[in-house]
Amino acid sequence: MSTNTNYTFPKDLYYDRATHIWARYDDETVTIGLDALGLESLGDMAYISLQAVGLPVQRGESIGSLEAAKMVGDVIAPVGGVIAARNEDVLRDPSLINRDPYGAGWILQITPSAWDADSHQLAHGTDVTAWVESEIERYRSQGWIE
Amino acid sequence: MRLITDDSVTASFGLAADECLAARVGVGERRDVACSVPTLRLYTYRSHCALVGRFQNLENEVHRAYCAEHNLSLNRRPTGGGAIIMGNDQLGVALTIPGSDDDSYSRARELMTQFSSGVVHGLQSLGVAASFRRKNDIEVNGRKIVGLGIYRAPKGGLLFHASLLVGVDIPFMLRVLKTPFEKISDKEIDTVADRITTVRREIGREITVDEVRARVAEGYAATFGVSLNGGGFSDDECVAITKLERGKYLTAEWVDQTTAVPDAQGSAKIKTPNGLIDVRLTLAGNTIKAIMIGGDFFAAEGAVADLESTLRWHSADPKAVVATLESVYAKRANDLASLPFDPLTQTIQQAVRRARVAESASRADPYGCFVTPEGAHV
Repeated sequence: MSTNTNYTFPKDLYYDRATHIWARYDDETVTIGLDALGLESLGDMAYISLQAVGLPVQRGESIGSLEAAKMVGDVIAPVGGVIAARNEDVLRDPSLINRDPYGAGWILQITPSAWDADSHQLAHGTDVTAWVESEIERYRSQGWIE
Repeated sequence: MRLITDDSVTASFGLAADECLAARVGVGERRDVACSVPTLRLYTYRSHCALVGRFQNLENEVHRAYCAEHNLSLNRRPTGGGAIIMGNDQLGVALTIPGSDDDSYSRARELMTQFSSGVVHGLQSLGVAASFRRKNDIEVNGRKIVGLGIYRAPKGGLLFHASLLVGVDIPFMLRVLKTPFEKISDKEIDTVADRITTVRREIGREITVDEVRARVAEGYAATFGVSLNGGGFSDDECVAITKLERGKYLTAEWVDQTTAVPDAQGSAKIKTPNGLIDVRLTLAGNTIKAIMIGGDFFAAEGAVADLESTLRWHSADPKAVVATLESVYAKRANDLASLPFDPLTQTIQQAVRRARVAESASRADPYGCFVTPEGAHV
């Protein structure tokens, strides 16, 4: 677990550096959600909609959209594959993402088609601490966080 | 930067044009792909239309029967936030620029301040004491004068939307938009007039939308350090806008879509030694979407509107509400001296609980729920 002040980044997860989406791989499926810094920047989640189960997606493609306190934007797939499940609890109550981002607030599951290749594009393991520290420093220097 | 000014546009065209430019500006300047240059569009809608936020349920936000009777068109913005009316007295602002690689989410907090600076500058040049308020408003002494929203297109283009009230007919607005009020009387109209303001009201004289538009354009030129070159939509932009308008903004699939997040209303009143506290609010899931704090207590001008504004689009979680109220009271202790903290938080929490009970009851009785809260709508 990488923790810097209030921002927690479990080390077993993979992180998309550009979108602050996390991914958890468990052999057959990849569960995804939003990481602590992404949530800090976006603010309270108000609404979310997600593409249908069974839809094939590519890494970098939109798999849904969300409205947070700050903006409306897309949820971007960190890996390619087929959408396997949507978190119906989060669809009904998006604030779950803020309350429990790495647990009950997971967003969607994908059956990956090229996990080995896609996961190389994500921060993982020992890379996470350095990436998180540089991100926090960047956020602070820009005044996005205190 | 290109400046486009157009007037009396339809709701479907106005919104399609904004989204289209955001998508095309996002691809950058490439010869092999249709693209658009960064654009500031200052425009008005044909009087009148009602526009809801990206994920709102129309049924929850507007009085559809009244709109149908009076030929108001209804549509859905790509940007978030609440429902608004737009017409010849409300200036629409749409700024479309490329996103900074994939960094827009990180910069969400900063972008709203940056993008709203042109509007703030333009208003200040007219003598309006406008300032950006975190989240998504520009206010004058606690009264909202501009609503703001940002949409990030999948290809990275950013659309900043603002709706600026040059003037507004509040009784008409209340007939179109649903509010936590049970009825529309002079008292409710006065309550809304205490929460919103217009350019005309602030400067105390008549002013045309054209004059305000010119000041806003100057505001952007000054704050962005760019020159604005007047222009129109290119031929291929017109084709793309028409395609998007027909394929999306003129379809019931887009306009009438619903969300799984339920709306619910709740109210509560508590009598205190300083007077009655009356709270009415609307929840969207766990988010306070709208809140009115009334009663017969005394508070400094703008203080109650400030409290309400802080709590709009805020988590309804009791601890989060208390923490936010504490920060407002810390800043405005004197202004809110006659509105006791504990009874206010209790009243808000009671209203939240009642809204949740109402929402649970409507879920248990699907035939009593006018809107079916389901549907695919990405």
